Amino acid sequence: MIQLDNPIFDKFTVEYEPNELIFCEFEPGNEFYVIQTGRIKIVKIINNNEKTLDVLKPGDIFGEMAVLEEEPRSASAIAMEKSRLLKFHRDNFDALLQGNPQIAYKLLVIFSKRIYDAKRRLMILLLEEPQLKVMDVLNMLSEEDPHLDLGGPIVLQVTIQEVANWAGMQINEVQKILTHFNQLGKIELFNDKIHVKNIRDFMRVVNSRRKSSFQ
Amino acid sequence: MSNGTQGGQSGIIPRAYKSGSIVYMEGDKSDNIYIMKSGRVILTTKKVEDRIWVEVKENVKPGEFFGVKSALGRYPRDETAQTFGDTVVLVLSLAEFERLILKNLNVVKKMLRVFSNQLRRIGKTVREVLGETDAVNPEVELFKIGEYYFKAGRNKQALHAFKKYIEYYPDSRNSGAAKQRIKALQSGQSGDDDFMSDDSDDFSSSSYDAGSADMTDFSLDDEPGGSNFDDLVDDGGSRPQRSPLSSEMDEFLMEDDDAGGASDDLSDFSFDEPGAGGSKQEDINEIFYEGMRLFSEEQFSEAKTLYEKVLDFKTLKNEGERKTFEKAHFEIGRCYYKMKNYREALNSFSALLKKFPTSDHAKNTMLYIGIVFEDNGNVDKAAGYYKKASEMEPKDQINKEAVNRLARLQKNQGRR
Repeated sequence: MIQLDNPIFDKFTVEYEPNELIFCEFEPGNEFYVIQTGRIKIVKIINNNEKTLDVLKPGDIFGEMAVLEEEPRSASAIAMEKSRLLKFHRDNFDALLQGNPQIAYKLLVIFSKRIYDAKRRLMILLLEEPQLKVMDVLNMLSEEDPHLDLGGPIVLQVTIQEVANWAGMQINEVQKILTHFNQLGKIELFNDKIHVKNIRDFMRVVNSRRKSSFQ
Repeated sequence: MSNGTQGGQSGIIPRAYKSGSIVYMEGDKSDNIYIMKSGRVILTTKKVEDRIWVEVKENVKPGEFFGVKSALGRYPRDETAQTFGDTVVLVLSLAEFERLILKNLNVVKKMLRVFSNQLRRIGKTVREVLGETDAVNPEVELFKIGEYYFKAGRNKQALHAFKKYIEYYPDSRNSGAAKQRIKALQSGQSGDDDFMSDDSDDFSSSSYDAGSADMTDFSLDDEPGGSNFDDLVDDGGSRPQRSPLSSEMDEFLMEDDDAGGASDDLSDFSFDEPGAGGSKQEDINEIFYEGMRLFSEEQFSEAKTLYEKVLDFKTLKNEGERKTFEKAHFEIGRCYYKMKNYREALNSFSALLKKFPTSDHAKNTMLYIGIVFEDNGNVDKAAGYYKKASEMEPKDQINKEAVNRLARLQKNQGRR
């Protein structure tokens, strides 16, 4: 957790009331934030519905993409309760680092994870057969949870829509494939989760295909 | 890395490799980070070029780090590191790496720049593969966000979006409309304050303590400007009489009478037999999964219609179909829950528990009943059902969810 109690940061402190929008999806952004107190919800409007992507707590950083480049925000941040944040403009980044190098370390970790996630997704998208894409989304989700015992049946909290998003496919097509897997007894489908009987099966199939197309 | 060479004292270990040794393989998991001291290391990694993975080799120069991203991000190595000629590397744990770089901020900044570049490049490739090259217009999209919140009656958020819109795009096509919205919002024309903000959260998200007091009066349905749910709650007749709901809900669940609503409907419903009268044979699973698709697209009312169709099946051919039939009861309850028709949600859940007391979905049903009660401010009942769910076998994520919810309820109560 990043503690920035130094009075030097007072001038960077901003406060938000519950439900107040800190920044809005698609708005240009030059600042990033460190949460001091309160919780912040990261949301995105998908198909005319607001989806919660993440809930952040004190010590967390958000809006960090603005540190290095000028791009519109990819999601909105909303205060869930009365919150105190530190708000830093990109131009103050150097000054901030001098006093608080641990922020830099935290950013390195965030970027590392993001790069991996993006690469992993690319691996899915570049598979040719739609079935393999769907399988590999399930593989990816199972890899993300270090507590899962991949040797046995597992439960993945995911909807068909989400699988379709990850796979870059139409939901109808994904649904057909998942239904087929379901009929084969490989998985059991629920609204908000998928039971996978043997994820190692899926991993083996995808890996062997990936290898053979690679060499 | 001048500091690296003094590693001996601080626990950083130099390690010598013969030529051709593997320092680590793609797919290995480890939280070691390396600094090249002398010799040569080649990283073999895969990159995408023209939608094809190609192997790329990179030289690590003395003083440079490698193995950083996978160690920091705690994921498997995505490259193989091999020595070329006799080589010495320094091996750092994550803690040592942190200590080291915190003293060398320029190194950190350089890494951040490199990472950011990589991220941008990969992001670009992802968008290309997805065919999203013609980028969305942020101006148009920002206005749409404002409209979304405006229509949902969430004034604060709408006001923010429209103000930003005017700030960044003062002369654009929609700026007049945005100004009008701002005026309307500031004069309080739209719905009042936005206690709806949590209503689209999945129960699985960790944002829980949205004051349940706000929800007890069910004023959600009354939001002017129409929430997305208005058109879904089609059985509006039950809406006016809301207050005594908690006690009624209780009755539904306590009823001993075996012939609960759903099964009645079932018996006097005549269903076109498969193949009869040229109507095409319908597959129970297909209908069910179509319902599931609609649910995941948040078309709850439409999904419910299909699940209800599943309940119309009279002959179930095998165990799989029987399971689907059972599951449909649960999903109907969830549709009602999502539509905020709590009474019917409880009806459906209790029907499932009565008809299939040993169902695989019994535990999840208990959990959901608890959630419905919690959403309606009946903390004691909610706690009771969470507790039941948490104790049911076999133990899985549902138990965990129930335990977490119970603990949170108790904590909140302690605070009061």
